[in-house]
Amino acid sequence: MRRRALVKSLTVAAAIAAAWEAVVRSGLVSRIILAAPSDIVQAAASDGGVFLRAFATTLAEIGAAIVIAWTLGIVTGLIVGSSRRLAAATAPVLSSIFAVPLIVLYPLLMAWLGIGSLSKVAFGAFSGFFPIVLNTIDGVRAIEPRYLALARSIGATRLQTHARIVFPLALPAMVSGLRVGTGLVVIGVLVTEMLASLGGVGFLISYHRTLFDTGHVYFGMLLALLLAVAVNIGLTRLDRRIGRWQRREQAQE
Amino acid sequence: MPIIEVSRLVKEFGAGRAPLRALDEVSFAVDKGRFVTLVGPSGCGKSTLLQILAGLTAPTRGEARIEGERVCGPMPGKVGMVFQDPTLLPWKTAFANVEFPLDLRGDDRPARRKRCAALLELVGLAEFADHYPHELSGGMRQRVAIARGLAQDPKLILMDEPFAALDEQTRTRMGHDLLDIWAATGKTVFFITHSLSEAIYLSDAVLVMSPRPGRIIDTIAIDFPRPRELDIIGSAAFGAIRNRIWHLISEAR
Repeated sequence: MRRRALVKSLTVAAAIAAAWEAVVRSGLVSRIILAAPSDIVQAAASDGGVFLRAFATTLAEIGAAIVIAWTLGIVTGLIVGSSRRLAAATAPVLSSIFAVPLIVLYPLLMAWLGIGSLSKVAFGAFSGFFPIVLNTIDGVRAIEPRYLALARSIGATRLQTHARIVFPLALPAMVSGLRVGTGLVVIGVLVTEMLASLGGVGFLISYHRTLFDTGHVYFGMLLALLLAVAVNIGLTRLDRRIGRWQRREQAQE
Repeated sequence: MPIIEVSRLVKEFGAGRAPLRALDEVSFAVDKGRFVTLVGPSGCGKSTLLQILAGLTAPTRGEARIEGERVCGPMPGKVGMVFQDPTLLPWKTAFANVEFPLDLRGDDRPARRKRCAALLELVGLAEFADHYPHELSGGMRQRVAIARGLAQDPKLILMDEPFAALDEQTRTRMGHDLLDIWAATGKTVFFITHSLSEAIYLSDAVLVMSPRPGRIIDTIAIDFPRPRELDIIGSAAFGAIRNRIWHLISEAR
């Protein structure tokens, strides 16, 4: 059954590609505006190595930015969320910063960190940080006091309380922050690569755009898409795993 | 020898000119191995008193001592807590919930597994060790919470209206089984409830508290022989004690 569905969708895709190719070849649309599938294949064939290296660069930048955004977001969120006063003082500031289009700050980051990967990682991590920290704070604040009374009465240390009780209880709320935040990391890295950089998929897209190499531009876009889809699949898996007991709890109530 | 000694305990909420007085010069003592219940109308400060005994709240004046040691924080090795809500960790099985305090304390695995198996047996849940809280009924969850309260082998168990959320039948059954557990373990139990029947059926002595500000207005010894059967609840002697307590509380209003 699954196999037949796959064959079906491949057939449809092939038909669309053929129609697309025919439209471009017939001269109805300029090749600068719409590259033919064969142009994309050709771009991959001629400059595959360059794109692969760029892909590796972007992947590494995104990976580093995710690690930083998650770690800083979660740790800060747990600390800030644990104190009612600190949360009340900090959360409004964080959410106002989050409301600003952060990209306007990118020239500053570039001035400080240069045009290379460092500024991309920094910007990606910076833009992913906010939804993560805000959701973590909300998740921690929403924990019912009875759990903290339990922690104290069984003699849990501060670290144990955070790691073994607060963190797991806040996790479901955290995951929605991680989803949004990780998406923003991917966008942040690709956009800043396109703005000004020396490497990465975003750089190749905007470089070939200036040369009107539409086939190359499309191939770059395809790679960026692939990255985004892969990240999203990973996040959905995470969500499903973590959401399991929470959904069971809700189903019962 | 008393295990709990409370002398001239005062608790006020809110500072300034008109603080709200929750507890007013409360003094009493509970001897080792006894089952003592505190009854009083809702909002009379009985939960506050328990919180102070548990070391979760500090008194405004006066002091509480447990085994001669002044209470200034939770004493996890000496005092076990059972809350009104079972407060189980939803991602842990019944077994793992009971094991949790021992795990935090760093007991070695074989010893704590053995102890938890015995405790689940004691509360009648040996077959449900691998079930998650959402798979258990309200009464079963509270049994798990009782087993967890006993895990660190405290001498004193504080119970804050533990059966209040259960239906009448389950509640009666739980009380009956609690007496068996109490007899088997030889712990001291300090129990809070607003149900007079529950208090009289369970206890060696009932402390009667007035409406706010809470004062102990009388201590009534309950002399029904043990083990007690549920029929005593319908007896004339039982009814007489019930009436007496009821009048004490009404007159204090």
